[in-house]
Amino acid sequence: MADYQNIFTAVQVRGPLEMGAPATDDSRVGTPFFNYWVGKIGNAQFGPLNLAPAGAVALVSFTLWANIIGFNMLASVGWNPVEMLRQLFWLALEPPGPEYGLSLLVPLNQGGWYLIASAFFLLGLVSFAVHAFQRAKAMGMGYHIGYAVCAGFWLILVLGLFRPIAMGTWSENVPYGIFPHLDWTTAFSLKYGNLFYNPFHALSIAFLYGSAVLFAMHGATILACSRLGAEREIDQITDRGTASERAALFWRWTMGFNASMESIHRWAWWFAVLTPITGGIGILLTGTVVDNWYLWAVEHGFAADYPQVYDPVALSPADPSYGAGVRVMTNPGDM
Amino acid sequence: MADEKPEGYWERASREPWNEWFPTKAVVILGVIFALIFVYGPLGGATDTETAQAGYRGTGMATIQNAEVYAAALATVDLYPEDEAPYEVEEGADIAGEYYENVQVLGHVSVDNFNRLMNAITQWVSPEQGCAYCHGEDGNFASDDYYPKVVARRMIQMTQNVNANWGDHVAPAGVNCYTCHRGLNVPEYIWFNEPADEGRELLGWDNNQNHPNSRVQSASLPSNVFEKFLLEDNAITVISQNVREQMYPERGIKSTEWTFGLMVHMSASLGVNCAYCHNTRSMGQWDQGPPARTTAWYGIRMARELNNEYLAPLQPVYPEHRLGVTGDAPKANCSTCHQGLYKPLAGKDMISNWPELAAPAPAAQQQAMAN
Amino acid sequence: MALLSFERKYRVRGGTLVGGDLFDFWIGPLYVGFFGVVTVFFSVIGTALIFYAAALGHDGIQTWNPWLINIAPPDLSYGLAFAPLKEGGFWQLITFCAVMAFSSWALRQVEISRKLGMGLHVPAAFSIAILAYVTLVVIRPLLLGAWGHGFPYGIFSHLDWVSNVGYQYLHFHYNPAHMIAVSFFFVNAIFLAFHGALVLSSVNPQEGEEVRQPEHEDSFFRDFIGYSVGTLGIHRVGTLLAVNAAFWSAVCIVISGPIWTESWPEWWNWWLDLPVWPVNWAVNQ
Repeated sequence: MADYQNIFTAVQVRGPLEMGAPATDDSRVGTPFFNYWVGKIGNAQFGPLNLAPAGAVALVSFTLWANIIGFNMLASVGWNPVEMLRQLFWLALEPPGPEYGLSLLVPLNQGGWYLIASAFFLLGLVSFAVHAFQRAKAMGMGYHIGYAVCAGFWLILVLGLFRPIAMGTWSENVPYGIFPHLDWTTAFSLKYGNLFYNPFHALSIAFLYGSAVLFAMHGATILACSRLGAEREIDQITDRGTASERAALFWRWTMGFNASMESIHRWAWWFAVLTPITGGIGILLTGTVVDNWYLWAVEHGFAADYPQVYDPVALSPADPSYGAGVRVMTNPGDM
Repeated sequence: MADEKPEGYWERASREPWNEWFPTKAVVILGVIFALIFVYGPLGGATDTETAQAGYRGTGMATIQNAEVYAAALATVDLYPEDEAPYEVEEGADIAGEYYENVQVLGHVSVDNFNRLMNAITQWVSPEQGCAYCHGEDGNFASDDYYPKVVARRMIQMTQNVNANWGDHVAPAGVNCYTCHRGLNVPEYIWFNEPADEGRELLGWDNNQNHPNSRVQSASLPSNVFEKFLLEDNAITVISQNVREQMYPERGIKSTEWTFGLMVHMSASLGVNCAYCHNTRSMGQWDQGPPARTTAWYGIRMARELNNEYLAPLQPVYPEHRLGVTGDAPKANCSTCHQGLYKPLAGKDMISNWPELAAPAPAAQQQAMAN
Repeated sequence: MALLSFERKYRVRGGTLVGGDLFDFWIGPLYVGFFGVVTVFFSVIGTALIFYAAALGHDGIQTWNPWLINIAPPDLSYGLAFAPLKEGGFWQLITFCAVMAFSSWALRQVEISRKLGMGLHVPAAFSIAILAYVTLVVIRPLLLGAWGHGFPYGIFSHLDWVSNVGYQYLHFHYNPAHMIAVSFFFVNAIFLAFHGALVLSSVNPQEGEEVRQPEHEDSFFRDFIGYSVGTLGIHRVGTLLAVNAAFWSAVCIVISGPIWTESWPEWWNWWLDLPVWPVNWAVNQ
């Protein structure tokens, strides 16, 4: 079944290494090589890589960014590499505190390193996007990859640049660390009154889940028709064959509607690209335009009412009009 | 020939060569193993749980506890030594302040009840060393030479204050020495200030977070939450109560992480989760959450007062081995009393038998004792 | 309009799992089959029950606002028993109808795959999505001993459930299976964008250029990041990413409660306490 269902490559054909299709510039570097195990699922060939200036700048910038983070992490555990490995998931490079506002003159060890690392990150991102456009141009292809990369960067830039500037402080930035960025994420939702009630967050999640559904549908359909050559999508688009026909009929018979071999990729592109676009809008509005999403939902009538199951506590005890004296509480465990 | 129907692709495909070598048995066996792991496995290996619903059905507000852990926590309640009932006090009976020397806090208590309380304190705090833990071996009970006695006196005042003034948090069960001490000289759950970072002048700043931290259940959340909220009076509220206006512009995401750290400590100390006090769809709104939240609100204020008024100021009294690395006195947090139960000792009545601990001495007698 | 120009030659008999030729026909563009009948049966009943429950409301709250309709599972006190209709019984019936309808839908996909001579990848992938749903509303409630642990059927009420169940473990982002699932979702979206974009950029090249070939696709991605997985490989990778996202989502919730009852950050102590570390550093006090 593994063979027929085409989950893995059973027989790997090894021709000569491919140096790439003609491009207007020639800055490919490195000697390609084969990897047998990668060849089980896709192409076995690695490389060559194109290190035209934009790509090289991106590579250097990301490396510097990662190194600044890494050395700060190492210093935070007393330069003990074993301890760094042990605590790796907990460590982070922390953004400056709120007392520095949007200042760029933050002491190095109070968030200054964070700003420097972020500057390299930004440079890397921009170069990487330029790289995507340049590679497409050099081979006469459309700019779809470049625009998709830009959509992802929109979300990153909202998190790391636009929103902090709108909030007037770098302290709203996301720390560079595994667990710490998860702490940040939860704190972000807590501070701004529950992100689940942010409609753009909801849209973003819908597109994210939708992307998984679409890729499962599309990937599985192509694999299911691969014995008829469905993976030759460009051929199927320009000269429809039986693989394309069956793939279309499968969904037509299943749900009454089908995409074409080309249009499924437009569905895919839009779903994936709208995930960070809508997500970025939701983040940008949080704390700048809307400060408590739950209350915003109440105002707009989409927060459900639940029946009261205990005496409501209408006021904070901090409120001066809160009743004085001993109150015997009903604990939920007693109910 | 009329019966012969045209063949579908499936019929034709089933005659293709792959059908001959296809390892049907292997696939079935793999499928069964898969089913065993993912269906039977969890059923067999699942934890025995205790659950309690906290909100309206379907809101997910529930406490889910490991039944064994919960039973072990409940079992500690049975370790409480049996109370000796108070003696009837007859008119004109001797009181401790007049009968004994140097009785500063319990002078208004009758001699019989005073000795009854002293016996109980021995069982609660120093069951092994007995009276000598506070009063020394030489039998001079009036002496203040031993630091545990000075600490104990202050702790009795603290207990009286808690029972008399913090009913919002501790009523009706009340507290006595055993609530925290559990038969130990020093309660098991105490905390000290954290040492400042050293040797990281150039890089490696961590803002008191980003390391595994047992105060917040090993999360990388800020670690000095006790100093911030249970000693200093930093603002805990971070969520705006207004849709579009930053009510607390100075309290950003970093402040929120501190608040979150405190809440994680509270939940873990009480053996509950966030939904015990909040409908988490709206952490800030008081009208959304269970009333337990008000009890907890008073608890934070109570812990802060006890640390500032009673525990931290005892620093000069302690010998060095009782102090923290920064030379500060041991202090209390939610775990000190709760020890894994949302009501310490499962809500056992700790005060009815101990009127001496329920309130400070009446004002007139305090005046008399001071003289 | 029901038939595409090439469709008639594919409409042949056979490939059914159940019912032989009985339901082997089409209505408009839709194939029927035995499982189509079952799907329609349960989805009509389930949808009608949703409307009925919404019309009755619950505990004095009734609304037709689609954002606010909430059909909640029973109280935990009902355990695994049937609850009265208005106290969670609706939820139980709707859940049963949903599971039946989803499963029949998958089996109908199997029949259509067989009829078209396709592999069974689509129903296989879809069955993992069904597994995730069944885990949430059947397996985990069974393991915890009460239907009340299922999520309520409502657009925002189910998010309230997600919020509260997440905070039952204080900080759900530390759930390792949740981390894996979210990573699969994110990578899936990125790869989907790249795959869609690469195909579109090849068949929609620069002005005046000819349509590009897979050779260009491979060259582009090698230029871009040093590796191209290839036309067949990307569909394997994408399917695996998407299926894993759903699968690890199911894992992350079924271990929360039935396997692990404490906070998720605490779970990581096993790593900190591994015997391989030379010294137990003072940071973890």
